[in-house]
Amino acid sequence: MLSQLVTRVVSIAVFVAAWQVTSMLIPPRYVPGPATTFAKLIEFAGSGALLGNLATTMIRLLGGFAVALLVGVAVGSAMGLYRRAEGALDLWVMVCLTIPSLVYIIIAFLWLGLTELGAIAAIAWTTFPAITVNVWSGVKAIDQGLIDMARVFRASRAVRGFAVILPQILPYVMGASRYGFGIAWKVTVFVELMGRSDGVGYQLNYSFQIFDMPGVFAWTLFFVAIMITIELGILKPLERHLFRWRPELRA
Amino acid sequence: MTAVSLAEIRKAFPDQEGTDEVLVFDGLSLSVRDREFVCLLGESGCGKSTLLNMVGGLDRDFSGHLALEGNAGPDSVKTDPRIGYVFQEHRLLPWLSVYDNLKFVLRTGGIPSDLWSSSISLWLDRVGLWEFRNAYPHQLSGGMRQRVSIARAFVIDPDILLMDEPFSGLDEFTGRQMREELLQLWRQSQKTVLFVTHNCFEACYLADRILILGNRPARVTDEVPVDIPRDYESEELFERSVGLTRKVLGTGLGRLRGQS
Repeated sequence: MLSQLVTRVVSIAVFVAAWQVTSMLIPPRYVPGPATTFAKLIEFAGSGALLGNLATTMIRLLGGFAVALLVGVAVGSAMGLYRRAEGALDLWVMVCLTIPSLVYIIIAFLWLGLTELGAIAAIAWTTFPAITVNVWSGVKAIDQGLIDMARVFRASRAVRGFAVILPQILPYVMGASRYGFGIAWKVTVFVELMGRSDGVGYQLNYSFQIFDMPGVFAWTLFFVAIMITIELGILKPLERHLFRWRPELRA
Repeated sequence: MTAVSLAEIRKAFPDQEGTDEVLVFDGLSLSVRDREFVCLLGESGCGKSTLLNMVGGLDRDFSGHLALEGNAGPDSVKTDPRIGYVFQEHRLLPWLSVYDNLKFVLRTGGIPSDLWSSSISLWLDRVGLWEFRNAYPHQLSGGMRQRVSIARAFVIDPDILLMDEPFSGLDEFTGRQMREELLQLWRQSQKTVLFVTHNCFEACYLADRILILGNRPARVTDEVPVDIPRDYESEELFERSVGLTRKVLGTGLGRLRGQS
């Protein structure tokens, strides 16, 4: 555990050092150094732009992700439980998975206008097929033997659903969520660039327009830091706690 | 008193094309007396597990008469007899500890919660796993998991115990030890047991009475009372099991001849 932490800290230090060296060799308009980038970051923070734009982006991200999760779990469960639903939908899920996210964004904005709703719809649409596929395979892997066991020992339908089936599906939903979250945050930035006038994606685009490389670096660094914090600080510990009974996750 | 009785059972599965049906049972009848240990012996695929699932209430798609009775005293009011089931695989809930797996069936079985902790400690102690009460199933060996599964079947104080080849997935040494342990638990608790197996030696060792299931559609082709002492070392046990094997194979060969 400790040595793992040391390895991580060293690897970050090496990266920053390499970044510093590179920035000294290449003009800052192409590769701004760590100091320049952090100065920019502090400047953004001082003006209130940093947290304001982050909040806007996070709301869109979470809204779109929540819708995608809901639809993905519903469709994926139906496909895993009912052969007919699987036969009817598997092709279309594959189609949805293949269509580039840009297409969803364009369609959502054309249908719903350059609005918050359009942004959330585009994020949800791009994210849900991946969640569906993961949940689908998870529900298919449900152990019928455990359900039979519960029936013999007189578990009611509700108990079988909540105490026997749900815990079997949950790891897959959790895995699908982490995967889906990764897709959602990438697409959110893209959506903001395409059709919104605020948020981290918009700010990135703005920096691009005025060729402000330190701005691009600062926004990227900030956003990545937030996402890693969510992943390592919330999702991973949550998953470890929920699934401590699973041997493969204990290693 | 009869604890389990089946009469004129008819059961059919749709065949692979779904156009026709395959008769599993046609006119099957058998009964198990109260506190009796009955082994149901037959070749694989003859319908032993299907029969057990029907008795256990997992399969209700059959015609005929099936009656179960509890062995409770006259003063206690029991409507539905309680069933303890030991499957071939342990079928423990992997996300619950050993202790909580037992608690799960006590809860679903409607047993008053003030009895839970004493019942659990009694049965985990009897199968020698009290120390492992907080372990998850994946942390246990195959034999230990099956012990938990047996404790789970006993802990609800069942009227009838159904066992579906519970030791067939274990190595012979573990299996042998667990058969002894099972007999001990059975003597202590005096339960009615219906035990499915394809192992003649196991049947002779465990049973009061062996029912041989043969021919398709399956019915009880022979009934063998076992009155020898339950002792692994006895010559008699060995001879009996050899004789029984011949008997079972005989019905199998008869079927083969009938088909040709």
